[in-house]
Amino acid sequence: MSKLLNKSLKIFILYAGIVLAGSIPAYYVIVDLIWEHELKEHNLIVSETIKQNLQSLSLSDKELAASVALWNKLRPETQLQPAASLLPDSTYNIYRKNKYIPAKGTDRFQGLITYFSVNGKPFRLTLETNMEESHETIMAIAVVTVMFFLILLGGFIFINRRIAARLWRPFYNSLEKIQSFNLHKPQEIHFDHTGIAEFETLNYHLHKLITGNIASYQQQKEFIQHASHELQTPLSVIKFKLDLLHQSKPMTEDQSDIIDQAHQALAKVTRVNKNLLLLAKIENSQFPEKELLDLPVLIEDYVTFLQDFLDDKQLQVQLNITRPLQLSANKTLLEILLTNLFMNAIRYSESGGTIQVSLDERRLVMANTGNEALDTDHLFRRFGLSGRHSTGTGLGLAIIHEVCQLYGWQEHYRFENGFHLFSIQWA
Amino acid sequence: MKVLIIEDELQLAQSVIGYLSGESYVCEHAATYQQAMEKLCIYEYQCILLDLMLPGGNGLQLLEEIKKRQQQEGVIIISARDSYDDKIKGLQIGADDYLAKPFHLPELAARVYSVIRRRSFQNNNILQQEELQIDLLAKTVHIHDKPVLLTRKEFDLLIYFLGNKNRVISKNALAEHLSGDIADMLDNHSFVYAHIKNLKRKLHEAGCGNYLKTVYATGYKWEV
Repeated sequence: MSKLLNKSLKIFILYAGIVLAGSIPAYYVIVDLIWEHELKEHNLIVSETIKQNLQSLSLSDKELAASVALWNKLRPETQLQPAASLLPDSTYNIYRKNKYIPAKGTDRFQGLITYFSVNGKPFRLTLETNMEESHETIMAIAVVTVMFFLILLGGFIFINRRIAARLWRPFYNSLEKIQSFNLHKPQEIHFDHTGIAEFETLNYHLHKLITGNIASYQQQKEFIQHASHELQTPLSVIKFKLDLLHQSKPMTEDQSDIIDQAHQALAKVTRVNKNLLLLAKIENSQFPEKELLDLPVLIEDYVTFLQDFLDDKQLQVQLNITRPLQLSANKTLLEILLTNLFMNAIRYSESGGTIQVSLDERRLVMANTGNEALDTDHLFRRFGLSGRHSTGTGLGLAIIHEVCQLYGWQEHYRFENGFHLFSIQWA
Repeated sequence: MKVLIIEDELQLAQSVIGYLSGESYVCEHAATYQQAMEKLCIYEYQCILLDLMLPGGNGLQLLEEIKKRQQQEGVIIISARDSYDDKIKGLQIGADDYLAKPFHLPELAARVYSVIRRRSFQNNNILQQEELQIDLLAKTVHIHDKPVLLTRKEFDLLIYFLGNKNRVISKNALAEHLSGDIADMLDNHSFVYAHIKNLKRKLHEAGCGNYLKTVYATGYKWEV
């Protein structure tokens, strides 16, 4: 990722490059025009000098012809020839070889043809002046421009670094403070006074946001405790009353059954309440402590612990475990995750089925026998499967999802060869 | 044996008193921090049931006060706050047990029973009922002076029943007692039946009287 200042620098450099590249032809055209203009003036001055000097000599026709012949011999590039009539001046621009210094190759000349009369006879004067060649000029201009561009570039980068370091220091200070902020151990953040309006505004609003978050986090935590208390007490009352009702005499089998069913419904409500509170707690990151946990040992303990439930449904457990394997996580959360996976597998297995647990460095896969694939769209959502199976709370998989979210793990479900496969992938 | 119930919710307190009053327990009730302090200053109790959230003060402070007095009473915390912090703190300060609401009354009765046993018979942790003799420390059972081999779960169940003599206990309560929180994740509790059956058989084979009765299909009772 590029830094903000480098991003603007890139654009600046690109723009400067385009402008400087565009300036090369502009310089060339302007320099060329100036040259042409100056040489035209030069040619005019020279022609006027020749003309006026010739006219002031007051030579006879014979002498004139001799002088013209001599002139043409001495300065062949400046041809002075008798003309048929006086015509208006004309200029031209030509590339040709210099016949006196042929090694120089083609040269560029600016020419002027002017007419004047001496002793009443019209003469034509052709003047040519060597002019700077355009390909040489454009090279020179390009080199100078590129040189300036490089100077500009170096300056930009240097100045940019200086500015970045100084101008953005308050910004990076704020950034560092936000990075070190942890909602589980909320401490008030104090931003330094910067004296720059934008940063002051930013810091003010960051401060407001953080203090607001701390407050709402505290409120939520209190809410969880209160909700827990408020709900658990009436649930306890109902449970106690049912226990007392069980002691009443005489009681028929039907009455006992009714109490039992009420107990079961109550157990489900209690469970839903507990799980909702647990979800809220995970979301609020109230399980910050992490430790290295030995997953194979945990899983084997669980299988022993769950033996009653496994025997109850005559389920076989096959363990396929790579050891040793350690995972850094909160112990409570990992236990909850394992419990939910196992309970899911036990609950939805047919009697006499098999539960396969595979564990390697990358993932844990819990497979149990089943008949048809589950609806994957809603599987890991809260109450996603509720109604289909009355025994579950509909929150077990949502809790697995939350725990995976917390640690950046991936949970997957697929149905394969008559097995429901739930996998947790952490690497 | 006197039990003090410190609980602000009247309905809960009444239920607990109603359930525990049967046996040799004499129950008293305190609904606030102040009342509890007054009662603790005047009387002596064998067991105290302590709710942590009380009007007028924190239950943990009360627990510290109780522990300062250095008497023989056992303390069981009963709290709706099922947080590990509270649990650990409570047990560290000196509570004997911790029960998170909602729990079953037979569970509470069994824990009260075991706390009182532990506190009152420090040198002799042996329970005797007719031909049945239980060593709580060694976790052994003798019938007619002959040892009976019970699994850990069967032993647990036996103690649970002894703490709830002459009361009907539902299969739900037994399942929760045996497997804790995860029991209520499954509705089928037929495994309880298997353990009870084994316990009954072992007791019967050793020549123990038929105290453990099945009440309809949903409950069991230890009748003396």
